[in-house]
Amino acid sequence: MTKKMQKWLLAPYSVWAFLFMIVPLIFVAYYALTDNDYNFTFENIRKFFVTTSSVTNDAGQISEVHTYILIFLRSLKLAVISTIVCLLLGYPMAYIISQSSPRAQKIFITVIMIPMWMNFLIRTYAWMTILQDTGILNGFLGLLSLRPVHIIGTEGAVVIGMVYDYIPYMIMPIYSVLAKLDPKLTEAARDLGCNSVGVFKRVVLPLSLSGVVSGITMVLIPSISTFYISQKLGNGKFYLIGDAIEGQYVANNLHFAAAIALILMIILLAGMAVMQHFADIERKLEA
Amino acid sequence: MKVWSKIFTALIMLFLFAPILILLVFSFNGSNSLSVFSEPSLFWYRELFKDSETLGSLRNTLILALSASVISTVLGTAAAVGINSLRNKFLKTAIDTTTNIPMVNPDIITGISLMLMFVFVGRLFGASSSLNFGTMLIAHITFCLPYVILQVIPKLKQMDKALPEAAMDLGCTPVGAFFKVVLPDIMPGVITGLLMAFTLSLDDFVISYFTVGNDFQTLPIRIYNMTKKTVTPKMYALATIIFFAILILLIFTNLSDEDANSPSNAKRAERKSRRVENRKVISPKVYLSAAAAVLVAVIILIAALGTGRDTLTLNVYNWGEYISDGSEDSLDTISAFEDWYLEEYGQKVKVNYTTFSSNEDMYSKIRSGAVSFDVIVPSDYMIARMKDEGLLLPLDFGNIPNYENIDEGFKGLYYDENNEYTVPYTYGVIGIIYNANKVDEADVTGWDILWNEKYSGQILQINNPRDAFGIAQYKLGYDVNDTDPELWDAAFDELLAQRPLVKSYVMDEIYNMMESGEADLAAYYAGDYFTMVDAEAEDVDLRFFTPEYTNFFIDAMCIPSCCENKELAEIFINWMLSEEPAVANAEYICYACPNSVVFNSEEYIEDMGEEAIEVLYPGVENFSELYNKTAYKNLDQDALAYMNTLWENLKVN
Repeated sequence: MTKKMQKWLLAPYSVWAFLFMIVPLIFVAYYALTDNDYNFTFENIRKFFVTTSSVTNDAGQISEVHTYILIFLRSLKLAVISTIVCLLLGYPMAYIISQSSPRAQKIFITVIMIPMWMNFLIRTYAWMTILQDTGILNGFLGLLSLRPVHIIGTEGAVVIGMVYDYIPYMIMPIYSVLAKLDPKLTEAARDLGCNSVGVFKRVVLPLSLSGVVSGITMVLIPSISTFYISQKLGNGKFYLIGDAIEGQYVANNLHFAAAIALILMIILLAGMAVMQHFADIERKLEA
Repeated sequence: MKVWSKIFTALIMLFLFAPILILLVFSFNGSNSLSVFSEPSLFWYRELFKDSETLGSLRNTLILALSASVISTVLGTAAAVGINSLRNKFLKTAIDTTTNIPMVNPDIITGISLMLMFVFVGRLFGASSSLNFGTMLIAHITFCLPYVILQVIPKLKQMDKALPEAAMDLGCTPVGAFFKVVLPDIMPGVITGLLMAFTLSLDDFVISYFTVGNDFQTLPIRIYNMTKKTVTPKMYALATIIFFAILILLIFTNLSDEDANSPSNAKRAERKSRRVENRKVISPKVYLSAAAAVLVAVIILIAALGTGRDTLTLNVYNWGEYISDGSEDSLDTISAFEDWYLEEYGQKVKVNYTTFSSNEDMYSKIRSGAVSFDVIVPSDYMIARMKDEGLLLPLDFGNIPNYENIDEGFKGLYYDENNEYTVPYTYGVIGIIYNANKVDEADVTGWDILWNEKYSGQILQINNPRDAFGIAQYKLGYDVNDTDPELWDAAFDELLAQRPLVKSYVMDEIYNMMESGEADLAAYYAGDYFTMVDAEAEDVDLRFFTPEYTNFFIDAMCIPSCCENKELAEIFINWMLSEEPAVANAEYICYACPNSVVFNSEEYIEDMGEEAIEVLYPGVENFSELYNKTAYKNLDQDALAYMNTLWENLKVN
């Protein structure tokens, strides 16, 4: 195939990407920056930053907080915790898979993908059955004559739901990088006197960093914007940024929903750019 | 080390498969509960195969996933080849960045952004309905594309550049070289991309939620819209079947593909040589199956787009689980209407039946002009709002003679004083549901019990602002329609005071929580109480109490202004009022029915039982007066905005 033909193959995708990836974002900005009559305004953006609520803390003290900033920070916190848990569980899992026989690797990957084929709304529902106070988990603890635990409706339950749904997105990219790692490198490091910890720290980890970065991205992004998991497993008590966008959409405030979406997008893109920048520096240092 | 890693792996697998085990077990539950297992039974499997709506949405989900994954794979593979050959640095960066957009953007933003664009463009062209199967397909292809491209590009980079050149030197045309040499070499990446796209599309809920139209409802949307009614083990049965289907498929492909490529480096050289040998053997098979997949997709696509071309189409938009659907030996209303119409008028009619999860959800869809419907079933206050905004059409009652069966008490109500726009479908009352084994009957006197500290941590509150505020307002004895902010602040203070006592803010989760004894007190609709009683655990005894000052609601059939076949819509409404479907629906939904053909039917009274009739039809003397006083009316935009602000304020606490 000639170079020219190869370039032509790119044409349909370029058109598609422009129409359905770039233009929609322009529409988000357009809606965010207009009012109901499509007149230009900063009001929606301003509303995100200035709306306040009074919050009563456990001690009964009342304080004024910025509603949407608080909601955003809360979502960020839960998403970061979920991402860290996913990384701590997912990295060793990916490593174990990459060390097993080729056939076992294939089976592992298939097995990890299987739950994703069943609707995630249904799977989240099943977690409710497990975690509720009279649920399977506490029934099991009761059989072992252990004290029941209260999980449903806590941050812990929301984190469990997120980790469960998104951990495959952490395992996969890390695994695919680890699997490509040349065993000669680790052997060489060992021959040169590195112990297991040293090999991991100096060879495996730095070389798998790109997988870690994409894993973090793929878990952090969906978990920061989820609204179903927090509704079901958080007992409706955790109002996250996804809930806020969906709530505004349902209340037919499309322009404000777009404003929240725009702000969220800008923050995330900035975060990604910073992370990518550090990853690039790291990579250059390694090289 | 070895042992630890085995234990760790086992724990992760347990974590990943525990919920699947749960839904597997509960799909064989004899009762309709998802948390209390009564006896093993195949009941829900039989139900599933009778439920044409669920099976239809499953078919839709598969059609969508198949078309989206095949199209995005073809488009994405072509794009990957193009990108790989790009030498212009600027262009390459631009394309790479764009490809990353759907991946680094949260689903909710991708969904909203596409929806905004479709609606805007649709309005520009004056389309009555800008969201449909096509827009959903575009959305799915868009978010699948980057995953395909990212799977294919590495394979292209690994490929020996000399291979296609060698092929061309040996007399291949450039196109031939691509299909004979390049494509087989990158095939593993293409197939992984296809599988990933299929999986993502199958599991997607968020993007579909924002881009779904009136003609094509997928499974995740159907499940989400069950929020007012309960999610039954039927869905678990469906998930179980999908699970085993995939398991068998995967085992089969694993067995037939014994020497598939392993990513292990040690065997790379060996593998490479083997693959070169195998290439001639494998490639025709791969082509054949790929071609077959494309063919199937195209046929399904044509079939999906083709239906309704020369038949009439009726788009009905109703609450989730709000029509008799053929399960539990009930009438399959939709297909019964289609049959009846064919017999009566000699013409085929195709009913597209889709569901919504709340009045506001439905309103947003219709208001934005995103979708077009012929018959909708909003609640009273939403009817008033839509009527005021000119979103409803007056009915031609000449086509709806059965309207005379509607009880006089349900005519001339505030939302439709002159009986022009509505035909009441169901009505009901909100009351207190309590577990008599835990709650002292003496305490059950009124709304105050939901603020009783004795039951702290056992109380459920409704997770939607209007109902939650309404309960506080009824408790305080306020008019729920008074827009004075001070009264709303007072109701807000009540809800804030109640918050520490509330176990959970619920919609459909209420069923599980009350049935299993997880919570003891809740406010909910009378009709749904019976669904809970049917599935209550052994040590739970649920009762219903109707407070003196409470909410009556009416849901009515209306025709929105976007309707495309008004006469057909009226014929449908009239048919829905006739005895067979009306009784079947009333029994299925379990809400009270204003149709005298139903509440006078002996069969109906017998089927429902005495207690149900008593609770559902409290025998209010002067219903219309009580109703006009206590029902939710439409609040103006400012009051609604104020309510939403207070609600968000409550939620951030």
